[in-house]
Amino acid sequence: MSDKNPPLSDKALEVARRIGSLRDFLEFLKENGQCINWSEEVYPEPDIRNVAVAAGRDSMNGPAVIFDNIAGYPGKKMVLGVHGSFTNLALLLGHPKGTTIKELFYDIISRWGADEPLLDFIEPDKAPVNENRLTSNFNLYELLPLYRINEYDGGFYIGKANVVSRDPRDPDNFGKQNVGIYRIQVQAPGEFTLLSVPAHDMGRHIMAAEQEGVPLKISVMLGNHPAMCMFAATPIGYDESEFAYASQMMGSPMRLTKSGNGMDILADSEMVIEAELMNGVRSFEGPFGEFPGSYSGVRKIPRFKVTAISHRNDPIFENIYIGRGWTEHDTLIGLNTSAPIYAALIKDFPEVVAVNALYQHGLTGIISVKNRFAGFAKSVAMRALGTPHGTMYLKNLIMVDDDVDPFDLNEVMWALSTRTRAEDTIVIPNMPMIPIDPAAEVAGKGHRLIIDATSFMPPDKLGGDSKIVTPPSGPEIDAIAKVIQLLQNGGQS
Amino acid sequence: MSTCPRCQAEENKIRTEHKGLNAKGELVWTIFNCESCAFTWRDSEPARTIDYNLREEFFRVDPEKPYPVIMPPAQYK
Ligand SMILES: [Zn+2]
Repeated sequence: MSDKNPPLSDKALEVARRIGSLRDFLEFLKENGQCINWSEEVYPEPDIRNVAVAAGRDSMNGPAVIFDNIAGYPGKKMVLGVHGSFTNLALLLGHPKGTTIKELFYDIISRWGADEPLLDFIEPDKAPVNENRLTSNFNLYELLPLYRINEYDGGFYIGKANVVSRDPRDPDNFGKQNVGIYRIQVQAPGEFTLLSVPAHDMGRHIMAAEQEGVPLKISVMLGNHPAMCMFAATPIGYDESEFAYASQMMGSPMRLTKSGNGMDILADSEMVIEAELMNGVRSFEGPFGEFPGSYSGVRKIPRFKVTAISHRNDPIFENIYIGRGWTEHDTLIGLNTSAPIYAALIKDFPEVVAVNALYQHGLTGIISVKNRFAGFAKSVAMRALGTPHGTMYLKNLIMVDDDVDPFDLNEVMWALSTRTRAEDTIVIPNMPMIPIDPAAEVAGKGHRLIIDATSFMPPDKLGGDSKIVTPPSGPEIDAIAKVIQLLQNGGQS
Repeated sequence: MSTCPRCQAEENKIRTEHKGLNAKGELVWTIFNCESCAFTWRDSEPARTIDYNLREEFFRVDPEKPYPVIMPPAQYK
């Protein structure tokens, strides 16, 4: 499908070649006024949370914030909001400030499906991530300037790690290596819990390891190439590599090396924590303030112990603020939630113009479609509910015409005001729903709402002048039918 | 910090995890962990987070209660 992708612009390629790591990107953001240093002393709580929430208010143009004066962490640096605004994403993809969300959406769509992996492998002893290596006396509380993201979180979370794991039954298979973002709660100086469910690749790896009694090794990459965080969260097939995917989306090679425990890792990450599953152990985890803006509850979940840590000189710890929106999490995953829904719809319905599923991971979606005839937009909405993401997430769908930009809420409100007929809303009760929907009466189950805010269209009446056919019938026809039966059975008429 | 702010476990269940120092080597805060309910906290945090009586009741944890287990290991037996 790569031959169908239009070539990237010179500027996009220039930026992609320049940015090989988090550090490179922060420098680039600074040059463009999109990264600031917060050098006044902050306490981890509540100061960092307060600054993060304030910076997150401007989802279009908010900057990344580097904290370099954190009480109790002298000399350490922590950054939030690297993916906190659409302008930061625009810069990464080679666009100027002022690029609209719709333009970014079409850029990501145009890169979608590129399948030319661009990976360079370098020797571990030449990889910047290995400038420092610890093999004992681990203390995550000391190494990482951690903060309590929301006030009732159960502990200190690493919210933006890219975790690499391999199928423990097939550890040499590069394709079955998975990179995902999982929330990590530090549980002891050298131990942490990692939340995954059976449906995730990591969940399958955990169950396989415990079932067969084999070790599960993982590498937790912190402070990564900005494309990795953006695209590791994108649902791709089990046999596809997220590294290959991220490099394809950027159109420029990413540098990989080997971690001490045999995973492929980014050579230029700030830190990589190698760890091993503690088979059969479950520890209390949570609550954690999640993307709908509500806490998920306390669970007992798998636990890992650290086996080694590699890090660059003066590592920059990258974390996230997530909670009641708008937050960095919404910007980070929004376009990559919208794109696969669009890609699925466009196969059957080329009339679909754009999909905005930015809100709370797609709990509300707005789809712009060229309405062909009465009811068509509703059929498209039904199809959207059947996409992999739509099945669990698309709770409220607003359908608008092709002359409405679904990313411009003023236009969407105009369409709702002027084109909605209450009769054209549909409620589908008792559908599957992500369990953390705060509106749920029963977790895991919810109602879907479709608001058809497209303008009136006449029905498709082609063939509408039909009249019932009257075929011959009666004793004569019954007699012929018996003759046919006899002939078929080899008898005589 | 004698008991856990979340489950009121006694002092013998509280582990001192890490002491944060300033550039002069002076103590700024200490991180504790409760071995009963796994709550982790820093003694410099706002009281709403680390004072049992000021915390919202909703967020109390009783370690004796059955909490959901993710991928229960017993399922393999
Ligand atoms: Zn406790």
